[in-house]
Amino acid sequence: MAESRRTFLKQSAATVAAVSLTGCAPEAAGARAAETGGDALSRADDATPVPLPAETLRAVAEAVLPDELGEDGRERAVRAFERWSEALEPVAELSHAYLVPEIRYSGPDPRPGWVAQLDGIEKECESRHGVSLSDLGVSGRRELLVRPLADTGPDLGAPENADHVALALAAHFFGSAIAMDICYGRSIRRELCRSIEGAEDEPAPLGAAP
Amino acid sequence: MSRAASPAVGRAARRVVESDVCIIGGGITAAMVAERLAERTGASITVVEAGGRTVALGERSDTRARMLAYGENPWPNDHIRGQTGTGAMYNSMVVGGAAMHWGGAVPRFSPEDFRLRSLYGVASDWPISFDDIEPYYQEAEERIGVAGEQGPPEYDPRSKPYPMPPLPLSYSLERMREWTERTDIPFWTQPWARNTEPWQGRNVCRRCDTCFVCPTGAKYTPDFSFDRLLAGGRIDLVTRTLVRRLRLEPGSDRIAMAEAIDRDAPDEPVEFRAGTFVIASGHAWSSHLLLLSANPRFPNGLANRTGNVGRYMTAHWYLAGFIDLPMRLYPGMFVYNSLLSRRFASPGPLDRYVRHDLRLWESTVGRAPKIMDDDGKLLWGDEIMADWRARTESESTARIRAYYDLLPDRDSRLTLDPARANELGDPMPRIDYRPAQESVDLQEHTIETISGRFKELARAAGGSMRSIGQPSELWEHPGGGCRMGDDPATSVVDRWGRTHDHENLFVVGAPTIVSGGCANGTLTFCALSLMSAEEMENELPSA
Ligand SMILES: Cc1cc2nc3c(=O)[nH]c(=O)nc-3n(C[C@H](O)[C@H](O)[C@H](O)COP(=O)(O)OP(=O)(O)OC[C@H]3O[C@@H](n4cnc5c(N)ncnc54)[C@H](O)[C@@H]3O)c2cc1C
Ligand code: SF4
Repeated sequence: MAESRRTFLKQSAATVAAVSLTGCAPEAAGARAAETGGDALSRADDATPVPLPAETLRAVAEAVLPDELGEDGRERAVRAFERWSEALEPVAELSHAYLVPEIRYSGPDPRPGWVAQLDGIEKECESRHGVSLSDLGVSGRRELLVRPLADTGPDLGAPENADHVALALAAHFFGSAIAMDICYGRSIRRELCRSIEGAEDEPAPLGAAP
Repeated sequence: MSRAASPAVGRAARRVVESDVCIIGGGITAAMVAERLAERTGASITVVEAGGRTVALGERSDTRARMLAYGENPWPNDHIRGQTGTGAMYNSMVVGGAAMHWGGAVPRFSPEDFRLRSLYGVASDWPISFDDIEPYYQEAEERIGVAGEQGPPEYDPRSKPYPMPPLPLSYSLERMREWTERTDIPFWTQPWARNTEPWQGRNVCRRCDTCFVCPTGAKYTPDFSFDRLLAGGRIDLVTRTLVRRLRLEPGSDRIAMAEAIDRDAPDEPVEFRAGTFVIASGHAWSSHLLLLSANPRFPNGLANRTGNVGRYMTAHWYLAGFIDLPMRLYPGMFVYNSLLSRRFASPGPLDRYVRHDLRLWESTVGRAPKIMDDDGKLLWGDEIMADWRARTESESTARIRAYYDLLPDRDSRLTLDPARANELGDPMPRIDYRPAQESVDLQEHTIETISGRFKELARAAGGSMRSIGQPSELWEHPGGGCRMGDDPATSVVDRWGRTHDHENLFVVGAPTIVSGGCANGTLTFCALSLMSAEEMENELPSA
């Protein structure tokens, strides 16, 4: 089963191109889709955001993302999160709340805080264990993450609202169409632009021929 | 086409735009009137819209992507700063109005909605019957492009088939329909303003499930109508121009002009002169414009001789819940479809009044990934996935919701708010909605009855109610403020939307409804607007 999921993850990028249709967004464009998410997104301004410390972020990913993704799948999930966070615009106009006349805006840029958190966890790791986070075992990394995640509550929420970068990364992946497919073991392909025919069919098991 | 005349002498430079018909507002009801008049008459038609053009079809994939990724407004800047009222109202002021955002659920009202006093002794009858409005429902469905499944005729009466076959049910909805068939409550597919066949040059739906912004054009939005009329040279669309007052002809109750401000040239006022004026400004701004236009002859506002403008604001509330189902569903195959029952909107004789619809969707409530288990223990990676799987492997959640009608009170009211003005200093609308006392008295009975039906459905599935929420007091699909009636003492417009006080002034759509029904209202607003257009046709040059 795990193997067929991995095969599915590898295949999915190719499938995206095949099913893109005139007048449609590419598959799950911009959705919190670990595979494809960041690609379709761009910022209206030309700002170049400060990069998230790549190595530490990947070390955190090994602690919070499922092993069953495999190394490739996890790397794609992290890359999608990076692209998504780079294209995030602070204080953007949000979708109107239904029948509420006031306009709502998103919060300030969470990235500087996330960069500081990644730097902080790296420093804490050095001082407590004398090694970098990526050299620490996964259980040790999780121990370091318990305190910052302890107050988050049970729901993952939207990644842009996450107080901690580890939560943002988890929320981004688990909120994606691909995570949903992996959970259900089926090719549901939420928010994919496709024919209305076939909606009534039980979604095919992952890894089955498209 | 309208004629631009030279500036009036002796006043600040003014742009004058003349036409046979001046439609104020560029939303879906304006689109219906403009389309019909353009096809059936030779009248010159000007549509004045306070907002500008919004995101073009070709760019909607991009704004969709950002909406999905960050929750951003897919129609950025579609509001006018400072032009904001208080109370439930839409803030989209743009070509297409609120229906750029809409989901496109288009049920009809039931015959009972038009005869509440005669049948049940509550609220007021409308001056029209279901049979009167039925042909205009059909016309609206054809103009918009509606895909629907014929329900049982006693609950879904119609004289002709839906224009298009229904949207297919997803695998999950098919299973849910099988479950509902174990009860005597019939469910069928919700009718939608979304194409299942190519319609008026627009695409077939592609199931991408972001209908608040449709990247394919399969969902009807009013900009399509306006673009077609503009391409055919049948209307003038004047955008970014806010009408501030209507003025009377000297010594007469006829409307002479609409005074407006071009938001890009605020120092040069614009006058729209026409033989017929149509206020198609939605449920809030229509009454607001009439009240703003007070003058010595009509000191309480135009069309307000009997003091009814802004009154009887109406809508519906809802009760919603979640049902745990002992079956595996796959949410995400086609989220923007749902099952509908109008069984209890046409309930037959009643001991005590309660009417409502029922709608069912697949849901992920209680079945989304979590970072903590029920004991508050943090979960990591594979544990999150395992916990998620355990909650989705053999059980699912259905969302159920019932719209129930609120009987409007005369003091459910839109007024000019002295405490809130726009950048021009004009007072903004304030809506203090309130249900009539008879509705308040019926509330407990209504909630009990609906909750009972939710539970009956849950039992039939072998499942259980996960939760029933508090009644939502959001006034959904609002209307009223210029209600229709035969008696000018209790209404603002006649059955055709013509104001009792001004023979060349019509108010169309949402503001004219008598009660809010227990169904999404926009199709009814469109049908009423088409009825009004038919009446206007008699006085306009023929095609
Ligand atoms: C998110 C969302 C989902 C919805 N889903 C559904 C649904 O599924 N089914 C359903 O039935 N309904 C739905 N609705 C409601 C539906 O969109 C509205 O009922 C409908 O669009 C109202 O149309 P209208 O023409 O009456 O008014 P509006 O759409 O409000 O149009 C009025 C226009 O007039 C303009 N205007 C106002 N005053 C002036 C002035 N003084 N001068 C010039 N221009 C002026 C405004 O700028 C506006 O563009 C939804 C609404 C929203 C926001
Ligand atoms: S599901 Fe259909 S109507 Fe809705 S956004 Fe996608 S293509 Fe448009």
